[in-house]
Amino acid sequence: QNGSTVVKGTITDEKGVTLPGVTISVKNAQISVISNIDGNYTITVPATGKVLTFSFIGMERQEVSINGRGVINITLKSSTTSLNDVNVVAIGYGTQRKQDVNGAISSVKAADIANIPQVSVDQLLQGKAAGVTITQNSGGPGSATSVHIRGITSLTLSNEPLYIIDGVPVSGDANNRTTSGRSQQLSGNNGETGVSPLSFLNPSDIESIDVLKDASATAIYGSRASNGVIIITTKKGKAGNFRVGYDGYYGIQQQGTQLPMLNLKQYAKLQNALADVIGISRRGEFANPELLGEGTNWQDEIFKTAAQQSHQLSFSGAKDNTDYYISTGFVNQDGTVLGNDYKRYNVRANINSQVKSWFKVGGTMAGSYSFQNTSLSNNTGIIYTALLSAPDQVVYNADGTFAGPQADQVGGQNNPVQQALRITNNLARYNFNGGLYADIKILKDLTLRSEGNGDLNFSAAKLFRPTYNNGPRFVNLTASLQEYNSNSVYWTWKEYLTYTHTFAKKHYLQATAGHELININYKDNSAGVQSFLSNDLQSLSLGDAKTATLGEYIGPTDVLESAFARAIYTYNDRYSLTATFRSDRSSKFAQGHQTGYFPSFGASWRLSEEPFFQNLKSVADNVKIRLGYGQTGNQAVPNYLYGSALNAVVTGQGTGFGIDKIANPNLTWETAIQKNLGLDFSLFNNRIDASVDFWKKSSKNFLFQAALPAFLVGQTAEYSGTGVISPPYVNGGELKANGFDISITSRNIVSKNFKWNTSIVFSHYANKVASLYTGVPFISQNVTTSFLALPVTRTQVGTSVGEFYGYKVKDLFRTPEQLRNAPIQFGRPMQTGSGGTYLGDIQYEDLNNDGKIDANDQTFLGNPNPKFTYGITNNFSYKSLDLSIFLNGSYGAKIFNVLNYQIAGLGSLYQNQVAYVASFWAPSNPTSNVPRPVAGDNPNLLNSDRFIESGSFLRIQNVTLGFTLPSSLAKKIKVERLRFYASGQNLYVFTPYKGLDPEIGSVNQNVFLTNVDLGRFPIPRTIVFGVNASF
Amino acid sequence: CVVSSSCKNEYFDRPPKSQITVDNFYQNAEQVNASTLLLYSAPWFGYSGKGGWSITEMSGGNGRTYSADIINFQDFSVTGTNFEISAVWNSLYIEVAQANAIINNLPTKVPASVDGAVVNNALGEARLWRALAYFHLVRVFGAVPIIENTFDYVADYQVPRHQVTDVYKFIVNDLKFAEANCYAKTRSGVSPSNAKVSSGSASALLAKVYLYMQDYANALAEANKVINSGEFKLYGIDVPGKSFADLFLTANNNNEESVVALQWAGNGGYGRGNPFQAAVAYNSQITGTGDGYGQMAPTFDLQDKFDPNDLRRKATYMLPGDKYPEINQAAGGYTLPADANSQGTHAQVKKYVVGTPADNGGTGGAQSSANNTYLMRYAELFLIKAEAIMAGAKTSADPEALAAINTIRRRAGLGNLAVIDRTGFVTNPTYVAGSNKRGEHWATVYRDDLLDERRREFAFENDYFYDLMRLDGYNKTSHPIALQIIKQQDKGTSDSQTPPNRYGNGYLTNITDASFVFPIPATETAADPKLNEAPVPYVFK
Repeated sequence: QNGSTVVKGTITDEKGVTLPGVTISVKNAQISVISNIDGNYTITVPATGKVLTFSFIGMERQEVSINGRGVINITLKSSTTSLNDVNVVAIGYGTQRKQDVNGAISSVKAADIANIPQVSVDQLLQGKAAGVTITQNSGGPGSATSVHIRGITSLTLSNEPLYIIDGVPVSGDANNRTTSGRSQQLSGNNGETGVSPLSFLNPSDIESIDVLKDASATAIYGSRASNGVIIITTKKGKAGNFRVGYDGYYGIQQQGTQLPMLNLKQYAKLQNALADVIGISRRGEFANPELLGEGTNWQDEIFKTAAQQSHQLSFSGAKDNTDYYISTGFVNQDGTVLGNDYKRYNVRANINSQVKSWFKVGGTMAGSYSFQNTSLSNNTGIIYTALLSAPDQVVYNADGTFAGPQADQVGGQNNPVQQALRITNNLARYNFNGGLYADIKILKDLTLRSEGNGDLNFSAAKLFRPTYNNGPRFVNLTASLQEYNSNSVYWTWKEYLTYTHTFAKKHYLQATAGHELININYKDNSAGVQSFLSNDLQSLSLGDAKTATLGEYIGPTDVLESAFARAIYTYNDRYSLTATFRSDRSSKFAQGHQTGYFPSFGASWRLSEEPFFQNLKSVADNVKIRLGYGQTGNQAVPNYLYGSALNAVVTGQGTGFGIDKIANPNLTWETAIQKNLGLDFSLFNNRIDASVDFWKKSSKNFLFQAALPAFLVGQTAEYSGTGVISPPYVNGGELKANGFDISITSRNIVSKNFKWNTSIVFSHYANKVASLYTGVPFISQNVTTSFLALPVTRTQVGTSVGEFYGYKVKDLFRTPEQLRNAPIQFGRPMQTGSGGTYLGDIQYEDLNNDGKIDANDQTFLGNPNPKFTYGITNNFSYKSLDLSIFLNGSYGAKIFNVLNYQIAGLGSLYQNQVAYVASFWAPSNPTSNVPRPVAGDNPNLLNSDRFIESGSFLRIQNVTLGFTLPSSLAKKIKVERLRFYASGQNLYVFTPYKGLDPEIGSVNQNVFLTNVDLGRFPIPRTIVFGVNASF
Repeated sequence: CVVSSSCKNEYFDRPPKSQITVDNFYQNAEQVNASTLLLYSAPWFGYSGKGGWSITEMSGGNGRTYSADIINFQDFSVTGTNFEISAVWNSLYIEVAQANAIINNLPTKVPASVDGAVVNNALGEARLWRALAYFHLVRVFGAVPIIENTFDYVADYQVPRHQVTDVYKFIVNDLKFAEANCYAKTRSGVSPSNAKVSSGSASALLAKVYLYMQDYANALAEANKVINSGEFKLYGIDVPGKSFADLFLTANNNNEESVVALQWAGNGGYGRGNPFQAAVAYNSQITGTGDGYGQMAPTFDLQDKFDPNDLRRKATYMLPGDKYPEINQAAGGYTLPADANSQGTHAQVKKYVVGTPADNGGTGGAQSSANNTYLMRYAELFLIKAEAIMAGAKTSADPEALAAINTIRRRAGLGNLAVIDRTGFVTNPTYVAGSNKRGEHWATVYRDDLLDERRREFAFENDYFYDLMRLDGYNKTSHPIALQIIKQQDKGTSDSQTPPNRYGNGYLTNITDASFVFPIPATETAADPKLNEAPVPYVFK
């Protein structure tokens, strides 16, 4: 042909793997060829042809000017991986180039969270995304985590974000508040039962996580978005050869610290002292404590070194317009606390196919099974029991049977080792999560997506309390079994149209409009029976049928129907506007109150694209200012709050009925309003990338559960809440919050062999109650610990949520003069014995100066919210070696150490105590700050600042050292990539906190009980060795 | 249903599927009758768990403990953060709230097709139970807020306390309504039909409340009304072949002597069964369910009040060597071991201790046994009658009063009194200065045949401290007599000699007039600081 030329070349991917099947075409000509098996191509280009385009599924399309060349070798870049910064961000019902985003979105990529030995995704996000505060509520395997995006938004509703996993919404609420308010798990000790709603997802399957923080980004999710949205995208098959990947690790975990408890010698001395105080005779065997040995260290008995392993195998590829990713994984985490472990098996298949040029279908199917043992749960469970167990008690008798306290040792603890080993408390969870979609290209620029998703959960919990003889005090002749099965079926169906067009080259428009229907069903049933002939066969059918109990809960179907629209307009890559609107209609509210509307706007200006900026580009680039405003809602309330129903209760006369709640037929949406100002920039030729966001949140028609006093509705009594009427949920009050998030990534050294990157995320937030519901002066929250029911926090106008409240300690009463001159405390006369105030008691401050100490002398004692949290990651690589050091910290939070009521209360005989309290105040020990022992409850144990400690910490969260086989070597053994690593998790914690672990979280995700330490499972130290391989 | 506008509104109406809604209930007589059943059981759990008996028995001097969770009740050092005080308050107010729900719902929700008498009977039951809850509240906490309808305070719960006299007036009003509207009954045999309260139950409670108010005329009238009605019968007197001990067996739940009783579900699990034996049974051999903590044991003071011939003694507390064939029947009965001494007094509680599930027809579990808890027994009407006749007199030989008290003594195997002596403190004829021995320690002793009889009859039935509270008069803040009685009680321990030497360490100095009112839970005063202020009169509706 006249003037035509031949161009040849080889096409590879970023890793140098040749790519067959790539379409090479001449722009503006009807000529195209496909690369051969070796990735080579030859194309004849007519004289008019100036540009070649290279396209391949899963890869970014490239256009290359020929410029007279005869050989053009091309490296295609994956369109979904994060190997450079031009990547795509999930924004909900669509994606957007990161540089175009107008909202505040933090993205975490697979590489950022690889090799961290954590079981669950939520735990992995810790310290990785600015504005996201993550606290593990327990170090126990499989336990729930609190994820708060920009602090908390709600008082009594869930503050957990909405997760969208490949389009399937999953609530982060571990307590099922929106369905039944019940956890899937049982507890043998009135302890915490929340389980991680995300633990079914294998972190190795995750491609990217996008955290939508401000309302201009989240409003597209309308009524479920006020706590932020986390969009998780799993891996897809990538172009290139069929690939087999293996990721696995094996390692050990151990408990990092122990509390210094009394040994036998010290314990004997304390028991003698307490006997004198209580007025009974000293124990004969403690006549001479110096002759005694160390006794049992119960922490040694219940903490153990435990193995942890994870293996994941994946198969992926893309061919003939179809990409696929199939994986299977296995995790086995043994607990560092006796009787705790967690196993998970999961499979996943992601398939997408461009069937016709106008029709694409795809699907995700994921299934998982997990099995968790928790003999005694967090809080008041095994750790608590072990700490209180006396060192003169042994674990085993001489004949190998379990031992226990003597018959008359009232206050002695039942053998924690026996309980941990013999009580069966397990939870099996089954999850199926998947969906199908079709993209239909109706016109060139108009696509319809039709998508159906489902999330099916089934769980089976079992609690078997065996017969035992931990005699003489603790003997049980009657075994009992409780089973609790729950299931939830969740499906969504959505249809949405997306129109994308660039007008006159400079006007880019993307418009989306759609409809969505969500349907949630929840059901559970429970059954119990007792009197078994054997402890071995734990089946409901083997107990005495006369003792059977039954219960069933069928939740009302929860329906949410929504319409939504979004328009994104960008002019000349400089100015961009986003507007979204969503309306949601929910069955949670009564007719007339069901529909809510949630608009949002976002705008951005890319300064660096302006002509005047061109001279500055070498210093600063990619400078963008973002502004956002949006309204979102929170509908994480239980169903049928607008009417009262009757709870059936078994009584001696048959089934009785109690009113369940105070209804509020006027209940409606709450609206959270959020404003965001953001600045993105990079400095010094992209050596430093930074993002700063300032935000403000407020809310109207605040939705929360009124906290009514017991004299109106009753309250849990003696651990039983049967018959208590739930206070109503109401709209009212306002919470204001503000803060800023900073993330900085710096490429400190970029040489050929040595690279050093640093990423820093820094978040600050503060919240303040602006008003509360009419007639609610404040919200007081209580904890119960042994023989005390204490108000510990108070939330009122002007304070943060859940601030600690109580008395201030002035000193101890050390001299009779002090006693005589001080204000009378709680009307108690000056006398020894537990009914009076005497030397060695705590002297509280008379804050209102009325000459007496009473309830009016309480004040705010500290804020459980940190002043800021931060994460610092340093990545080094030298040739084949890589090293990553990740520090995670929190500063300025306070902790209410409730565990100290138990282990430092000096209130009971036969219970061990933390070592320092043994030197309690006595005339012979006048400088001690530990009050004198008093039997039972007494004013020394009031909620005061002596139980408040700093919760600041800096944790060496993860250190990973890796070695990657050089590719020349790898090729020889037919391996694409092979990396070995050693990783240490939670290596050390710097903290002034005296408890086991300063990262407390919230009791059952209740924000009023944040940083209240009831004896939670500490997070173990983990060291693993692992392999990443792909073939 | 694709687009909102095409959706029928019904699509978004999603009532619960496993609960009856309030608007669907109360539609027929059976449902109205069932609406009150809860009031007889679970809400009382928190009171019955430990708090109730810690107040009545431990503060009263019948029981003692080393156990840190309840020790403050024995030495009058309870604070507002005490877990058990919260349990008592919360539990009684659960009862009030649920009773209020019935009282407020029935008039508006029941259709006309349901017989008005059925509705009125249920309303009467609910008001009787509300009165009982307040009767407990006012005795434990003194002035408390009166709540008739929770909804009145949802928007503003800064409610004051109401004066003690108004609380009593409120109780009397409720009980009068119950007396007028509950069905009249005649009870025979042990029968589930005896479980529900009757008009006679209300009269019996009125007699007791009037007695507390020192309205002796009305107390006597109500007591006579009950006794003359023949509705109830005394075990061992009117019901031959049955004894005092039989009253406390699960098999005899809802017998003829039962006036008001909590109806526990033995297979209901924690919170729905009777928690008493779990706490006080000497050990888990008795209960068979791993519990049995021996947390409270009889004081020497209580033991000293029993004549060795008193037939009630063995049914009230166990002494080493006592054999109980009805307990642990599978092992041939239970004998209290010689070294049983959980609280240093060489005795353990028996009343309401019923043994293993197998001993009780297969029902009962850990911390939940199936035996009823009496809130009132017919026997009390006789002692109320005697006390009302005496009307505060120091002594009486009134034949009716004597007949009443002697009926109770006769059943206990004790001789008849010729005079009822309520003289009060008298010189102790056996006083020896400096002695710690029984009977020699105090220069004066308290003489009150009625109080002592009540103490023996109702020990561990949640009454004695309330009796001491009212000794110095109705609505009094000064308690000189009760203070002295309590100070003289031997709540101490002993050594292991036979007979044991008492340490005499149980005499209390802590107690003050203020000890007769327990503190309102700190969690409640935190939520409503008005509870710390002086009580106000109640505006009756």
